[in-house]
Amino acid sequence: MSADHNRDVEECASAWLARRDSGAWSDADQARLEQWLAASTLNRVTFLRLELAWEESARLKALGAGVPDDRPPPRGHWNLSPFPLSPFPNSLRAPAQAGADLAGRHPRSRRGPGYSAFLRHLTRHWHLAIASSLLLALAVGVGAHWARLGGERFTTTVGGLASVSIADGSKITLNTDSRVHVKLTKSERRIELDRGEAFFEVAKDRDRPFVVDAGGRRIEAVGTKFSVRRNSGSVEVIVTEGRVRVDETVLTAGMIGLAGEDGLLVQRKNLEDAELHLSWRRGVLMFRELPLYEAAAELNRYNVRKLVVADPAVGELKVEGNFRPTNVMAFVRLLEAGFPVRAEIEDDRIVLSAR
Amino acid sequence: MNPLLPTIRVEASQSQEEPLDSWFKREILSHEALLVSFIARFWPRDQDIADIRQEAYIRVYEAARVSRPQAPKAFLFATTRHLMADRIRRERIVSIRVVEETELLNSMVEEISPEQRVSAHQELARLARAFDRLPSQCREVLWMRRVRELPQKEVAARMGLSEKTVEKHLRTSARLLARYTHENALEPGVHYMERIDSDEAERERGPQQGR
Repeated sequence: MSADHNRDVEECASAWLARRDSGAWSDADQARLEQWLAASTLNRVTFLRLELAWEESARLKALGAGVPDDRPPPRGHWNLSPFPLSPFPNSLRAPAQAGADLAGRHPRSRRGPGYSAFLRHLTRHWHLAIASSLLLALAVGVGAHWARLGGERFTTTVGGLASVSIADGSKITLNTDSRVHVKLTKSERRIELDRGEAFFEVAKDRDRPFVVDAGGRRIEAVGTKFSVRRNSGSVEVIVTEGRVRVDETVLTAGMIGLAGEDGLLVQRKNLEDAELHLSWRRGVLMFRELPLYEAAAELNRYNVRKLVVADPAVGELKVEGNFRPTNVMAFVRLLEAGFPVRAEIEDDRIVLSAR
Repeated sequence: MNPLLPTIRVEASQSQEEPLDSWFKREILSHEALLVSFIARFWPRDQDIADIRQEAYIRVYEAARVSRPQAPKAFLFATTRHLMADRIRRERIVSIRVVEETELLNSMVEEISPEQRVSAHQELARLARAFDRLPSQCREVLWMRRVRELPQKEVAARMGLSEKTVEKHLRTSARLLARYTHENALEPGVHYMERIDSDEAERERGPQQGR
């Protein structure tokens, strides 16, 4: 089975689906579809998967209640918060502000009067309990509240990992213990990386440069994918697609730039190596022949209980493998099993020494 | 006594069983977001993910045809895990020691198994975001067809497109929606991003708010 073949089958399956929906569908067509489905299990599962997506798209009706037109509202119209409700410390404060926002200061708000109709419809539609619809209203209220602010901040805690789509269509993935401040204006998309590491998938927009400010370093992209990581005293930029300008130097895909006080050091790597550095985005750290002291430093970014290498010989051992960054105990167990290493486990640290 | 009666009863009870296809959608395909992040977490090459996913679906569907698993979700993830292990052995694409691999996969399966609760609100938000990512014409066509429930013919007339083109947009929409709704899923076991209290942002907004 190949990726190309899978794509062809998906093309076919989607053609069947759209044809069946067209209105001109005979018994003979149905028989031919069934024959195609029976021909291979790949055909069948591919078709079922698209059919499910098609069926689920009917739930967009819940969003259509407040939209008078036959055309869909502009992108970003609903601005539903992608976050679960619990982490919002201030959600109880939001409805009054959001209410004022909708009723007073923004009379021509795109959300308009249909917004509450949408909520009503949603509630009726899904038979949500009164309590949960109240929560829902709060959540949407909070989203509305944030949308009009000049900036949004996002943080992750130690060991955290999360992504968020921002209003211009770009996506930001934050690694452990990181914080960004997003400011979108008409002329610029400005992201301040206050600390930690982030991966950016930038939506194309020629008129609004996408600029990351990392401790005074200016990193600029038009439409591309890259990561920025702040270390103490330096900033590391990895580009996996397109071009990025760091201060005055242009980096292209596969390049890693390390900007320190003395200037910018550029390494040309192949794309696979660059991707290896970014495996954290999937919640995995991939080490390839990495000295243990470096691996330990890397893992320590994700954990409160720190690994301490007490022995230079141990620090030089090369480790290799894929690890869950927050599962430091699994890493230690593997070390003890495969290397001449002894681990002393204390409350706030794990000391590694030679055995 | 008619000796055939028991047989007839058995047939009747079988025919009441839910069709395999709808069982498969509900019990298997509904976990796609989690399945994809499970594969992505482990597998180093993004371009293989869809391929692995489809292969897993095939194996599960074929197994379920013979007998439906009691715990479908666990069965899906176990099947995927075996499949990835097979590929590693066959293709030797990643140089990882087998212990680590197994350890990693096992620990991930443990994290996966507790039921992920996604609220109706989050599901709708996910769908809305996927919808917003569709190309403009696809977005309009799908809206008219699925939200306003206009027939394809009518959609074509209102948009000034041929019926063939409308059908083509719907085809693309179905494929993209299936893909987009399952990206960006909240990952299990990770801390969700939290937004900082917005007072600070409000202060910084200052006087330049004149839209």
